[in-house]
Amino acid sequence: MTLTMALPKGRLLDNVKNLFSLKGMDFSFVNRKLVAHDSSNTLKIFLVKNSDLPTYVNHGIAGLGICGSDVLYENSYDFFKLMTFDFGGTSMCIAGKKGEKLDMSGKKLTIATKFTKFTRDYYHKRGIPVEIVKLNGSVELAPVLGLTRYIVDLVETGSTLKANNLEVFEKLEDIKVHLIVNPSYYKLNYKAINAFVERIK
Amino acid sequence: MTEKNQRLLQIPQGTEIIYLEEAFKHQQAVSQINNLFTSWGYLPVETPLFDFFDIYQELLSNKVKDVYRLVDREGDLLMLRSDITLFLAKQMGVMLSRADLPKRVYYSGAILRHQNREDISKNEFFQTGVELIGKSGADADLEVLTLLVKTFEALNVKPFVHIGSRDLINTLLSASPEDFTASVFKAVKNRDFPLLKDLLDGNVSSKKIPFLMQLMRFIGSSAEFRNMLKNQPYKPSEIEMEKIEHLLSLMDTLEKLGMEQYFRIDMSETGNQSYYTGIVFQGYLEGTDSAIVSGGRYDSLLEHFGFDTPSVGFSILLRKVEEHLGSRFTLPDNTRIKGKDFVSAFMEAEKIRKEGGIAIL
Repeated sequence: MTLTMALPKGRLLDNVKNLFSLKGMDFSFVNRKLVAHDSSNTLKIFLVKNSDLPTYVNHGIAGLGICGSDVLYENSYDFFKLMTFDFGGTSMCIAGKKGEKLDMSGKKLTIATKFTKFTRDYYHKRGIPVEIVKLNGSVELAPVLGLTRYIVDLVETGSTLKANNLEVFEKLEDIKVHLIVNPSYYKLNYKAINAFVERIK
Repeated sequence: MTEKNQRLLQIPQGTEIIYLEEAFKHQQAVSQINNLFTSWGYLPVETPLFDFFDIYQELLSNKVKDVYRLVDREGDLLMLRSDITLFLAKQMGVMLSRADLPKRVYYSGAILRHQNREDISKNEFFQTGVELIGKSGADADLEVLTLLVKTFEALNVKPFVHIGSRDLINTLLSASPEDFTASVFKAVKNRDFPLLKDLLDGNVSSKKIPFLMQLMRFIGSSAEFRNMLKNQPYKPSEIEMEKIEHLLSLMDTLEKLGMEQYFRIDMSETGNQSYYTGIVFQGYLEGTDSAIVSGGRYDSLLEHFGFDTPSVGFSILLRKVEEHLGSRFTLPDNTRIKGKDFVSAFMEAEKIRKEGGIAIL
């Protein structure tokens, strides 16, 4: 049977392509199409925006998905995590202007981020009040332009931070990439899914 | 679009509007199911639409956030009916006496749960189900499981029911603290096996751990389950074996009845609710985003409401299934009678109606 899978546009796609290719499941999206079949006809693949991926899997439109724990945390849907990949790992960090420090003495930390739920939970769990501004991209601008003093964002190499004269003050969490599945989809197709997981391990 | 019209298009989260053909289909499904339940000797129960929140709070555990709450004129906190099972349990706990047992009841009614604005496919609006109260043992479990199969047949759908045993896991983890057991159940339910391994290490006898890991992962037929048991070194204790045998005997009987194709053993079915004590199951239907039916044995639920008696039942989220119902439930064609005076049109229409057709004047 063919399994359905959502893949995120962007940085993870090449990693997934390489891995699947090694396992005899080549695929590519021709002519800007967003749906593809792999060469062994195991998967029907949908290419979706990273942050929309959990929505597709939650609704069962795609049974499986590959997604970072950062995105999973922001959506509080229930998925099974079938495996963790060794590629695509990054860190969630708090950063600000170079030379400054994380000032915990004040009232509140003001933070700009895409990851509002993670940031709020992270600091509230530690009893630290935060004020959060939700941004959808180019988060590094916030301290530069004076919108907020800090940002919480994914940091891979740190080059974007550096270029904007920012630096990491603290690493908050390791972010890993998971193979997720809609629980109901798993229960209905567990045999095919287990075989697929064995194949890509 | 005017502001008023715009407002009219909005409906509060957790509610839905069904009308015309779709409502017809819904009512057909409900009446088929109600007839079936009646033919098995189950009697209807109507529960209130809202009740005091505090008596249910403990049982709702992580579902609290889905419950709509309001304050009555005396200042008491109320909750709208989000799960008929709970309201029914209270009603039965209060009303029943020993002499009434066993009691067979069914319900069908609307429920209200909060849903995320984005979550359009949950369809958790209507619950129908049965409770067999005051009867324990395999026959009672089987009565409910076979009635479930008959319900699927009446609806003409073929889901897969995954059965676990809260009882078996509880026995295997006996003497563990309650919060530890709760974490284990959560990890198992999410099929988070790395977390499960971490939890078990150091907290459970190391001889048992490989068996537990294998058991919790297992999904399959009773033959596959027997095979799994045979091919692993751990020897279950007498009481553990008893729970395993109970589950297998249910599967054997279902097989004798030719119903085994509906069922799989799946230990990661631990129940959404903390009150399950015996078998636990959920049913999955191709094309739906989450389980359409859940149920099991909850021998301590009624005790919570002052009446200690065993109970087993299931509950179907009917609106989730309705999209998948066949033509049997759709509105038949009608005859429109035109160009006649009212009296002859009426007479002709009556003739059609007597033969079971639909005639519109």
